[in-house]
Amino acid sequence: MKREIDARGLKCPKPVILTRKALEEGSDTLEVLVDNEAARDNVRRFAEKAGCSVSVKEMEGYYSIEIKGAGAKLQKEDETISMTYTCSIEEKKKDDSLKKVIFIKSDEIGTGDRELGTTLAKSFLYACTESDEIPTTLIFMNSGVRLVTENDETASHVKNLERKGCEVLVCGTCLDFYGLKDSLLAGRVSNMYEILSTLIGADLVVSI
Amino acid sequence: MISEETSPRLLTSVRNGEDAGVFMLEEGITIVQSVDFFPPIVNDPLTFGKISAANALSDIYAMNAQPQTALNIIAFPCNIEKEIIGSILQGGQEKVREAGAIVVGGHSIDDEELKYGMCVLGTVNPELMWRIDKARIGDILILTKPIGTGILSTALKAEFVDESEIKDAISSMCELNKRSREVLARYRVHACTDVTGFGLIGHLKEMCTASGIGAVISLSKIPFFEKTLEMAEMGMIPAGQKRNKDFASNIVATKGNIEPLILECLFDPQTSGGLLACVHPDDAPGALKELRNEASPNAEEIGYLISEKDVKIVVEP
Repeated sequence: MKREIDARGLKCPKPVILTRKALEEGSDTLEVLVDNEAARDNVRRFAEKAGCSVSVKEMEGYYSIEIKGAGAKLQKEDETISMTYTCSIEEKKKDDSLKKVIFIKSDEIGTGDRELGTTLAKSFLYACTESDEIPTTLIFMNSGVRLVTENDETASHVKNLERKGCEVLVCGTCLDFYGLKDSLLAGRVSNMYEILSTLIGADLVVSI
Repeated sequence: MISEETSPRLLTSVRNGEDAGVFMLEEGITIVQSVDFFPPIVNDPLTFGKISAANALSDIYAMNAQPQTALNIIAFPCNIEKEIIGSILQGGQEKVREAGAIVVGGHSIDDEELKYGMCVLGTVNPELMWRIDKARIGDILILTKPIGTGILSTALKAEFVDESEIKDAISSMCELNKRSREVLARYRVHACTDVTGFGLIGHLKEMCTASGIGAVISLSKIPFFEKTLEMAEMGMIPAGQKRNKDFASNIVATKGNIEPLILECLFDPQTSGGLLACVHPDDAPGALKELRNEASPNAEEIGYLISEKDVKIVVEP
């Protein structure tokens, strides 16, 4: 079913915000109306980046932007026959109750060049924030605690994950050892018992 | 329609595209005046106050002038918490003091939408003043701060990012162009402007038009704040960018493979942007090195000036 969003008279970035909200709520066909070129271009860019097909029509005094997401009804222009497209690949069931733990025991990923290793750790945490599947828990141990204390950038990625519901445990002994107890920027101080029980009780543990 | 002012004591006028109005009061005293104010672009009031003041003071530095006094201009709804207003004004005063100037007063007015800014007065030695119309062929273009604040502020407003994810851009907007000006003043700067509301291309266009000169800029050398291109792709380009494009794109020519979205970002309106200086080619390497060491670690050489019968900005990869 087509949903219409009248964003005429609204200033950027309101038209994009409304478009995003509608797509997140599951609308698969949208018609967004805007009255200026900046909004027209922004809504088109956003929808294309989101993987939708977009077509823009210039009307009298405004633009109509038709956005079709995956699984939408396709209509042939010269006929009124409509086809429903169904994907032949079975949808992977997401089980939100699975406990996925990432155990981070160093501030670098892999062994070899340290600069590469720390860059990889930074990219890894950033990639976690961009992923659809947020880990249940992150555990930081040994030099891994530097990622949530000394490093503003990685700490901000971890804070972002916490906001999305990820639990973050940081080894207290390790913080003490490195003298970083007062420098915690993300997560909370934990102990070996809690960390052990979290690891054993997990459905999936990724150790990096 | 206001008519043009003429006076032997008026050395520059904002109406000619200059960054500030410069007036010789008497022999030995030349004043520089500029004003700017706008609605909030960040959520924290103290930070907003700092950014707004840094933005207003920037025009003074772009003339190679010294800020002396500032007047607050603030508009706010009557039911706003007084602490917010206090924090904004505190932020503004901090930056004015850092500039070595003082806040001497201001004016407040009722408004549905919160706005804050300043009217700033500075002094300058007219012999050493930087104008926009004296750039020379062969000059190197040096930009002292990255760009992208318009796009990132829009993304912040839309909650596509939060302040911690754009903290480099925020701290850059809070930074005065004071130290950059001090470094550049040691070198042969033929013309200078600051990059603000018209975007990089818009302000470069003004300098080229006033000087009757063309420019070549290298897209790969232009520094962007982190997440700028990502947010541009997500439709976070502010409406002001379109106005800037309409104003300046007629003199832009591209050469080689230019990514269209990155080109769009060159028209992004900036707040409290860096200085864009036209530096003698022999002085440019030394100026850039000192800028990076003492003032702006992200300063870049982004292009150079060429002779052009018709003013043009050529954008290369």
